[in-house]
Amino acid sequence: MHNSSAFIQIRRLARRYIEGEQQRNIFADLDLDIERGAFIALLGPSGCGKSTLLNLLSGIDLPDAGQIYIDGCSLTGMNERERTRFRRRHIGFVFQFFNLIPTLTVEENLLLPLELNGLTTLDQRNRALELLDNVGLGDRRNSFPERLSGGEQQRLAIARALVHSPWLLLADEPTGNLDAATGERILELLLKLHRQAGTTIVMVTHSQEVAARADRILVLNNGDIREMNR
Amino acid sequence: MTPLFWRALLRYPLRRPWQLGLAILGIALGVAVVVAVDLANASARRSFALAMERISGQATHRLVGDAQGIPEAWYVQMRVERGFRPSAPVVTGYLPNADRPGQLLQILGIDPFAERPFRHPAADLTGGNFDLRALLVNPDAALLPEALGEQITLKRGEQRLTLKRAGTLRGPELDGLIITDLSTAQTLLGMAGHLSHVDLILPDGAAGERQAEELRARLPPELRLERPAQRNQTIADLSASFSLNLTAMSLLALVVGMFLIYNAITFSVVQRRSLLGLLRALGVSRRELFIGVLGEALLLGLAGTLLGSLLGLWLGSGLVHLVTRTINDLYYVLSVREFFIDPWSLAKGATLGVCATLAAAWLPAREAADAPPGAVLSRAHLESRWQSSLPCFLLAGLALLGTGGLVLTFSQSLAAGFTGLFLLILGCALLTPPIVVGLVRLNQPLTARWGLLARMANRDVARHLSRTGIAVAALMVAFSATVGVGVMVDSFRGGVAIWINDLLNADLYVAPAAIENGGNRSEALHPAALAVLRDTLGIAGVSTYRASSVDLDGRPVILIAVDLAPASQAGYRLIAGTPDAAWRAFQTGEALLISEPLAYRRGLTVGDGLELPTDQGVRRFTIAGVFLDYGSEHGRILLHRAGYERYWHNPTVGSAAAFAAPGEDLAALRERLQERLGPVQALLIRSNRDIQSRTLEIFDRTFTITQVLRVLAILVAVVGVLSALLALQLERAREFATLRAMGMTAWEVGGLVSLQTGFMGAAAGLLAIPTGLLLASVLVFVINRRAFGWSLPFEVNPLLLLETVALAIFAALLAGLYPIWRMARARPAEALRME
Repeated sequence: MHNSSAFIQIRRLARRYIEGEQQRNIFADLDLDIERGAFIALLGPSGCGKSTLLNLLSGIDLPDAGQIYIDGCSLTGMNERERTRFRRRHIGFVFQFFNLIPTLTVEENLLLPLELNGLTTLDQRNRALELLDNVGLGDRRNSFPERLSGGEQQRLAIARALVHSPWLLLADEPTGNLDAATGERILELLLKLHRQAGTTIVMVTHSQEVAARADRILVLNNGDIREMNR
Repeated sequence: MTPLFWRALLRYPLRRPWQLGLAILGIALGVAVVVAVDLANASARRSFALAMERISGQATHRLVGDAQGIPEAWYVQMRVERGFRPSAPVVTGYLPNADRPGQLLQILGIDPFAERPFRHPAADLTGGNFDLRALLVNPDAALLPEALGEQITLKRGEQRLTLKRAGTLRGPELDGLIITDLSTAQTLLGMAGHLSHVDLILPDGAAGERQAEELRARLPPELRLERPAQRNQTIADLSASFSLNLTAMSLLALVVGMFLIYNAITFSVVQRRSLLGLLRALGVSRRELFIGVLGEALLLGLAGTLLGSLLGLWLGSGLVHLVTRTINDLYYVLSVREFFIDPWSLAKGATLGVCATLAAAWLPAREAADAPPGAVLSRAHLESRWQSSLPCFLLAGLALLGTGGLVLTFSQSLAAGFTGLFLLILGCALLTPPIVVGLVRLNQPLTARWGLLARMANRDVARHLSRTGIAVAALMVAFSATVGVGVMVDSFRGGVAIWINDLLNADLYVAPAAIENGGNRSEALHPAALAVLRDTLGIAGVSTYRASSVDLDGRPVILIAVDLAPASQAGYRLIAGTPDAAWRAFQTGEALLISEPLAYRRGLTVGDGLELPTDQGVRRFTIAGVFLDYGSEHGRILLHRAGYERYWHNPTVGSAAAFAAPGEDLAALRERLQERLGPVQALLIRSNRDIQSRTLEIFDRTFTITQVLRVLAILVAVVGVLSALLALQLERAREFATLRAMGMTAWEVGGLVSLQTGFMGAAAGLLAIPTGLLLASVLVFVINRRAFGWSLPFEVNPLLLLETVALAIFAALLAGLYPIWRMARARPAEALRME
């Protein structure tokens, strides 16, 4: 699993939580390499640290020990401001509960990452709207998120996560809160966009079927990560 | 209801100590202000009652004279020759403590032998615990309160008078009192040969009435027989409108406090909608849920009330000094300055605090109970309900404004005036949410240019209207109160400044020195001094004044006998009557000029008659004009000296105003006067500027308490906004975490919060201006008119308005600091994990 040219390199990563007087190790000495453009499914029982790993990869959480490198940049070596800038520019996030900004319209939610990155030219804006058409929400541009169905909200969340062409897309159970048919459509969409843009995707899921669509399946259990053979 | 149900409900606030603390603090501050003002008022009333009791004692009747008092010889005649035994002579007045500026001490001169049945402190004057011989024989012996040293030096004019302790007075009701022998008091107060009054004990019933009638028949015209209780009541009534004003201000703080309580409780319900829905699904009934939420509010209310009462006690002990000082400046001397803890005031505060909390919690509790079982009504749903209620807010607000306007237009009483005022405030508060939405829309094109962040911040205010609407309304009400009161005080001050400037247009004012230092206020200017004044080189004209008190239906009104130089006449601004005709009639001495408050209170106008008790019986005078006057809320009457001398026996002059000849050097003239008048009488010669600045100084002192209450109202509002915004921002922790996860820095999110709270502050500040001006106009044109009878100009200081908006924005920005600090420290992952 060790590859010094890998796009994401995780080295001796450790994360602990303090619960009352007890210390709980989510993982210790975790090592992992992920290639550029890969679609990774991350499986594991509840509480094993899947979401924690995603949070560490995005830099919104910090490890207790170890290193994370993305495209050669040490995420763990950056300060908070640098990490935020890195995340803003190179990472997209899709959550199980969509986490759209309720006070922004569909179009504004989509444009938010572009604005944060200062990418507000007409060309970029048009591309964003194209993406909105791509996810089938072109006619809902001026609606507010609460007016959208669950599936529509997740499609918007995916479009928002990809609008600024990030290197890495982190998805935390993106289909976990949707019915099977909608979940399937969301997954299709993710795969389509992944193929089009070549974005690296790390997706947490509980579903073996969803995981089966990924390039690699990793299983996190008892602080240890293993590759599942198909 | 099971213990577990309560635990499920109550653990929620306990886990959010910040929100819980702010909600309790909001209630506490509201209660504290009410309790403090009530305690201060009650203390002042109690001090007054004690001061009156120690003077009146057991007397059933009292003989009083004119400003000079009662000739001592007349008393001796009554007691010795006519054998009227149950009578006690009293000489009383106030003198300042020479060593403690500002402390006025009451001198009570008595005859220890006649005193026995009358007064408690003096009841054992014949006893052995003090030196009776010394009191009678030594001209500097006195019974002094415990708090004073072995001797005390008093000031009368430039004179310093020292009294030595011959015995000790104990008890709070004797605070600030000095008892001396009659003759010592007469010397101290410059009342040789005169008594302030004579106390009498007449039997109850018909026998007493008969004796009183007999006595009345024998009284010379300048003496009156009256009942002390009635007189005390009349004097106490003087300050009733002042107390009412203070109470109204404190209630305003409670209104703001209620907004806060409502906000806190609604918020805790809305935040727990899913929990409440779940409890319903598990079988908790509507009634139980309703009682649960109300019970929780009751606990909050009790905690806030307890804290508020303690705060109120502390605050009240500070306020009582301001209240007594104002009463001393404006109404009567209160030498008792004890802080009494009136259980009634505490009970009133507690009832208000608990009832206000329950009233504020009623709607949220019903809302919680009405939620369908298991349903988790989303915030978005709640917000859309608020949005659809906007027309109702608009209509209800307008209806309240209309009702308030009608109440103000068609009522006469002060209480109705305050009711109208509160209706207007409530109406404006209800209009706030729709106006905030309007402002957000207006702001949209502007924020569109500033980028997404500004757009979000702006729109968030309208999208979270259930939270922001109340917070903006509470802040708006508090700041409008500060604008209203501020404009009123400015208007009043402006009016007084112009009035005093017009009125005191002479160059120099001459008065006996004793008047200044609290001595016998009836001390007169010697005729010789007046002659010297008139004859002094450089004096072009002199006006003379003599003020005395006349009773109009049991109420004391100041009668000023004047002989005015033409320039002095111009200082009186007539608001009714044509000046030429009015002054012509006035010169005859048969017509009066009356002040505006008197005209307003008694419904008098030019051409009406007014009956005055003169030394030659009751006489009817015609009213020739009404002049603008802020000198006394009970009214002043101006009578030409010729008329006064015709109907009253006392020809003395109390003070004089001198006009310098053109080109005269005032300082030199003053010096010359000082030199010439010095050997004749101890006199104070002051320039008009001196008196003007002193008047405005007293004015500012009077309004200190108003300013304090204003600051307290702001404080209550700031705490409220702090809690409302804090709650709102904390509730959005996940939304902010999402933004952080998307790459927004903590500073950017902080900027978003600041923009939003700043916008809310600006909205509240801007809305506070029209509401405050409306409030001010009611205070100026309705409340002041009804309470004091005077009309004021309407003066708006633009700086005050700017200050209000700036302060509102500052308060709101301050409220955003904690959430920003928390967000800067929090890891977004934690907030996202809360999913």
